[in-house]
Amino acid sequence: MKKQNDNKIRKTGLGARASRRISNTIIYIVLIIITIVWLFPFVGILLESFKTETNMQTPYLFPKEFGFDHYVKLFTKTDFLKWFGNTAIMGVATAVLQTIFILSMSYVLSRLRFKGRKALMNMMLILGMFPGFLTMILIYKVFADAHLIEEMAPLGLIIVYCASSAMGYYVSKGFFDTIPKSLDEAARVDGATRFQVFYKVIMPLSKPIVIYTILMGFMAPWGDFVLASYLIHENSQGMNVAVGMYEWLSRTNMNTHYTMFCAAGVIVAIPVVAVFLALQKYYVEGVTGGAVKG
Amino acid sequence: MASVKLTNVKKIYGKDTVAVQEFNLDIADKEFIVFVGPSGCGKSTTLRMIAGLEDISEGTVEIDGVVVNDLQPRDRNIAMVFQNYALYPHLTVFENMAFSLRLKNVPNEIVYEKVTKAAEILGITEYLTRKPRALSGDQRQRVAIGRAMVRDSKVFLMDEPLSNLDAKLRNQMRAEIILLRQKIDTTFIYVTHDQTEAMTLGDRIVIMKDGFIQQVGTPTEVFDMPLNLFVAEFIGAPKMNTFKTKLVCEGDKYYVNPYGAKIEVTGKKAEMLKGKRIGSREVILGVRPEHFVLSSSDNPEAIPCKIVVNEMMGSELHLHVVEDNGDKLIVRIPTVSLSDEQRASLVYGSTIYVTFEGKVMHFFDPETQANLLV
Repeated sequence: MKKQNDNKIRKTGLGARASRRISNTIIYIVLIIITIVWLFPFVGILLESFKTETNMQTPYLFPKEFGFDHYVKLFTKTDFLKWFGNTAIMGVATAVLQTIFILSMSYVLSRLRFKGRKALMNMMLILGMFPGFLTMILIYKVFADAHLIEEMAPLGLIIVYCASSAMGYYVSKGFFDTIPKSLDEAARVDGATRFQVFYKVIMPLSKPIVIYTILMGFMAPWGDFVLASYLIHENSQGMNVAVGMYEWLSRTNMNTHYTMFCAAGVIVAIPVVAVFLALQKYYVEGVTGGAVKG
Repeated sequence: MASVKLTNVKKIYGKDTVAVQEFNLDIADKEFIVFVGPSGCGKSTTLRMIAGLEDISEGTVEIDGVVVNDLQPRDRNIAMVFQNYALYPHLTVFENMAFSLRLKNVPNEIVYEKVTKAAEILGITEYLTRKPRALSGDQRQRVAIGRAMVRDSKVFLMDEPLSNLDAKLRNQMRAEIILLRQKIDTTFIYVTHDQTEAMTLGDRIVIMKDGFIQQVGTPTEVFDMPLNLFVAEFIGAPKMNTFKTKLVCEGDKYYVNPYGAKIEVTGKKAEMLKGKRIGSREVILGVRPEHFVLSSSDNPEAIPCKIVVNEMMGSELHLHVVEDNGDKLIVRIPTVSLSDEQRASLVYGSTIYVTFEGKVMHFFDPETQANLLV
């Protein structure tokens, strides 16, 4: 009887191990397929950018001849450097200003209790649900009157990115909520003003969320097309990379500019990837720290 | 060093949640005062109002004769130690202690001198370069105390500073706070829910319940002459036994009849009853566990009861007993007074006879719960 039971247990054990191995294999195959599908466009763009051809009709993925012609052309024959500069300036300015606005708002909502606080938070939550481009016509009208379009569009765009940024207070407020209030109180008793509490105690403890906010602010202008194209028109001096490069994909330019487009895409990715890699450790901490504990 | 005066202080949260009311107290210069009471009694709220961390709804708080109601915490010249230490995690122990001095732009040499002196007193010199996370609970609390010490402030506020420590460390730190008090000699306001801390630390104790002060007095006063039943039960561990009984006045003698026993009131208590001209009446009788003694069945003053729990505390036994009516009492017997046979007989289910002396009773009004002798 005992022997029979032992055999049964052993068989069940073997069966469980085998079925786990099979299910793991299936999971890994699916994951590998998803990874390939996900990586393909990035690898494709990188490889295309090194081709010497200019059109997108080449029937092979790997370049027959590697060349840097498109990269050279980008900086010598086009306004790409200007667009890149515009976007970088927008990225840095937005990162700095957004971080100040968002963190100040989050700290206030986390720490101070004032009349209308909850109503304000709810209102911002609801307003944040509306798509941004609903306000485009009005923004255009106001900015046109203020001469913040075309060549001056980058300045206008910085204002747009930053003006409503404080509405994205949730993640950082969640993070601040996890910092014990007694630290603020101890600092206030120790002689600190509210502002000193914020930058001498709370900020050093909030590195992850500061980094996260900087990253979000820096990355936003690199991918903005809809609002940017609306404010810039066709003024090359005011373009960001997305609007500038879009021209190269028009039906007439496609065959002559496609691979250069890919080269520009690779260059655009460099600062974003560099900043991201440098700060990624804190970024992950910031996202999870705020979300889970908050 | 400074005096602190609270006049009609009231704290209301929202529209009608009253946390503290009619709080009147004069705290003398260099006095060690302890606010004690159960959770939610308003003791921490009162301390936080003194610190400036809570707005004062009504009344005034004065420090050294100056009304501080509208002053920010930083302008009140107070130091505070928090229950959860509230150390700045990103700063070293040295910088934690130097934080307030740095804010005031105190020269480096003076900062160094003050911090190292405080660290020496508290025995944390070797940890000055560590971050708070590398310290144990009591070391962290020492740093928190050190941070308050370097400020030379007028009033030292402590909000349940020992609550996060285990029992052994709590006893050790309690003794150290008594020593510290002798060294820094300033005005202390200390909040705790632990009556032992209150009794051992305070020059005077403020006992609070539901936002009201129940009694203010020295440890001896509140222990020997509690103003009401709440104070009587709150101060002392295990808590005072109380039971409804009849106080009988026969001529110039007083008796009580708890559970059929007849015990004469004697000593000062009998004099006080006479002085107050109290006649026969229903009372709540209070007897502290340590005032019970073991007796025998032939003693008319003895109460028979059954042991339900026997707690061996080392130097004493805590016997939880049930009287015939189902009332529960706690009896505290020093183990040194028991023979081996007696100790062996005090087990679950056995019947014992207990009594108490007539001079140790407390009498409370069953309706108002006030002490009849005050």
